[in-house]
Amino acid sequence: MSRLAASAERVSKRFGATVALDDVDFGVAFGEIHAVVGANGAGKSTLVRILEGVHRPDHGVIRIDGEVRHFASPRDAIASGIVTIPQELRLVPALSVAENIALGDLPVRRFGPLAMIDRARMQEEAREVLAELEFAPDPRAPVASLGVAERQLVAIAKALRRRCRIFMLDEPTAALEQREVARLFSVVARMKRQGTAVLYISHRLDEVVAIADRCTVLRDGRVAAVAARGAFTATDLAAAMVGRAAQQAVSTSLPPGAPLLEAQADGVTPVRVREREVVGLAGLLGSGADRMMRRLFGAAGEPAVVEIGDHKRRFANPVDAIAAGIGLVPGERSLGLVMNQSVRDNILLPNLDTLSRMGYLDRDAGDRIVGELMELVDIRPRQANLKAGALSGGNQQKVILAKWLARRVAVLLLDDPTQGIDVAAKAQIHALIRDVVARGGGALIYSSDLGELARLCDRVLAMRHGRVTATVDRGAALDESKLRSAIGG
Amino acid sequence: MKRAARTWNIAGQMPLISLIVLCAASALLTDRFLSPFNLTNILVQSSIIAVIAMGMTFVIIGGGFDLSVGSTAALSGCIASMVMLEAGIAAGVAAGIIAGAAVGLANGLVIAFLNVNPFITTLGTMVLVRGVVFLTTGGAPVSGDSGLPSEFVAFGSGRFLGIHFLVWVPALLLPVLSFVMHATPYGRRVYATGGGREAAYLSGVAVRRVVASTYVWCGALAGVAGVMLAARLQSGQPTAGEFYELTAIAAVVLGGASLQGGEGTLYKSVIGVFIMMVLGNALNLLNVDSYWQRVAVGAVIIAAAAAERLRSRQ
Repeated sequence: MSRLAASAERVSKRFGATVALDDVDFGVAFGEIHAVVGANGAGKSTLVRILEGVHRPDHGVIRIDGEVRHFASPRDAIASGIVTIPQELRLVPALSVAENIALGDLPVRRFGPLAMIDRARMQEEAREVLAELEFAPDPRAPVASLGVAERQLVAIAKALRRRCRIFMLDEPTAALEQREVARLFSVVARMKRQGTAVLYISHRLDEVVAIADRCTVLRDGRVAAVAARGAFTATDLAAAMVGRAAQQAVSTSLPPGAPLLEAQADGVTPVRVREREVVGLAGLLGSGADRMMRRLFGAAGEPAVVEIGDHKRRFANPVDAIAAGIGLVPGERSLGLVMNQSVRDNILLPNLDTLSRMGYLDRDAGDRIVGELMELVDIRPRQANLKAGALSGGNQQKVILAKWLARRVAVLLLDDPTQGIDVAAKAQIHALIRDVVARGGGALIYSSDLGELARLCDRVLAMRHGRVTATVDRGAALDESKLRSAIGG
Repeated sequence: MKRAARTWNIAGQMPLISLIVLCAASALLTDRFLSPFNLTNILVQSSIIAVIAMGMTFVIIGGGFDLSVGSTAALSGCIASMVMLEAGIAAGVAAGIIAGAAVGLANGLVIAFLNVNPFITTLGTMVLVRGVVFLTTGGAPVSGDSGLPSEFVAFGSGRFLGIHFLVWVPALLLPVLSFVMHATPYGRRVYATGGGREAAYLSGVAVRRVVASTYVWCGALAGVAGVMLAARLQSGQPTAGEFYELTAIAAVVLGGASLQGGEGTLYKSVIGVFIMMVLGNALNLLNVDSYWQRVAVGAVIIAAAAAERLRSRQ
């Protein structure tokens, strides 16, 4: 094997009570594509963030080109030739393509102490580097005018211009169509030929098999397996990712009852949730699946027409949706919780109306509800006074669920509820969703993890370009690959 | 079920500890500090700012900011005086407070429903309202030909149970307003809105209305302060209340509130007012040059805010 470009030796990292990485060894060589796979919360992103200087490891060392390095900030990592393409691209939408590519290292002309941006050179450089990617946008166009895949190419162009030696991509294909994925792969392959070390993170195991020279599987923050090309198949990787102990059960369906909520999405097939039913929404980023929840809840875009009970409604704001018996667990936990308020205040927030006794708050009743719910959903530690921001991601998500359980909502809308939380908490959240449904409620869940949808849902609606394009039922062998082809990924 | 025990953390009591240390130091450095005359003086000076600071606390907990309170107090004092001369004390007091609430409502509507930055909005109303005050009064103090009603003037200087009426006002308002903030659904919604507006919105809080309401409280309390000021000055003074907004904001921050919103406590804001007033008083008694006093007060405000940031970073 050729020289190691970057390596982590016995690296551990914890966040509060959560162990993100536990004694992990990892190395990527120059001219190698090394894939890292693992379930949500397995520690992939934490590994990347340590290598790019965002987090410092609690234990263990990082070597770059054989030398031990302690990055104080991402700036140090960039200076030693490390470039990351994160899921959320770090581009400035209002600036032009050329400016984004040059940002941080703008070409200037000097007049004594004065420095002026050399626009002509900046645009020429941008054009050259974009041409390597076989992409020719107007370098003067604002990045805001580009699509997701094009923006990613701009981010990659920025990396190429820096002549980066170590290139890390965090789930780069999550939002891409197949054609765009192929283009990305050819770019990555070329970088490899030029001797760049590539660290490639993905959920999609078929991609990893196609592109990676080596693959490291992380599970619950530990290295579960390392294998070279040819020595692993997608099935092997899946087995290593999940592990025997953590094999998640497929939940059992209940006979559905009367419709609770029916929404006419823009597509042909309406979104319908019945009693005792978990309905999934699947779709790539930008497919509209991720926005559907907020539209149904009256919190974003133009409100969808919602039929609830016998009434046709259009919720103008969440106040109305909540009054009609709907609860939303938003995608980002910072939108589900007021982080600097206590767990108690957060749980009671949507329930203040029911606790109002002639204008004042019935604290004892509130404390009783909070106590019962913390027990029921198992929020740790059991301290209602703790600020929500101090909890681990899994526990924060349980607090958000508790808010709506206190109201006994009829329909629970969940927007990627288990994103980035550990396997144990994930299982508990799945059980809670199942509980709500067993008691006659309904749930509509969007998830970026298709495996999760396949295990949890009775029915999954696939969305593309804002429309429901297919329905996959439990009866018709609901599985991940079927969902993947339904959403066009 | 038993209520969970409140944890007593020292860090949360920094404002009170600072005040005690400041008082102790002042008492040691000058023998006049503890004289009944001086202490009474500090209480009376603090009373008007304390009422304004309580309103400011509502706004800051809700995630906002209000620069217009000084001008609003002047407006309320002048309107109260004008109406009082025509229609009696009760009508005058009511008119003054209503005028303050109206300014607050205007601020709140612009900020909450038009999404204009609170700093800019209230900077605008600060100047605008002051202009209105000068227009309505012609720039001259309002006291009529024979002065304001004597009962009203007596309220500005008289005492009840040995304590000035002016001091009774915040003393009675504090428990009532604390109850509103801590024991009503409304109060919890203000904290939630300031702490995480989007999260509160998605939890069913009508955040715009909540934000607007905090400015109404702030304006109305600035109105109360304006009426107190008129009583103390025995006239409606168009130039009164200048820099009150800055003193009040500084006091609220000294009391541990966060300008990010969602954090703050009314009684600690009042302690913040005392810190400001005791500091000024002690520097006076020590014959510190008034120019240097400003330097010292400014430095203390920045130091307190920096200390707060350092503490919360841990």
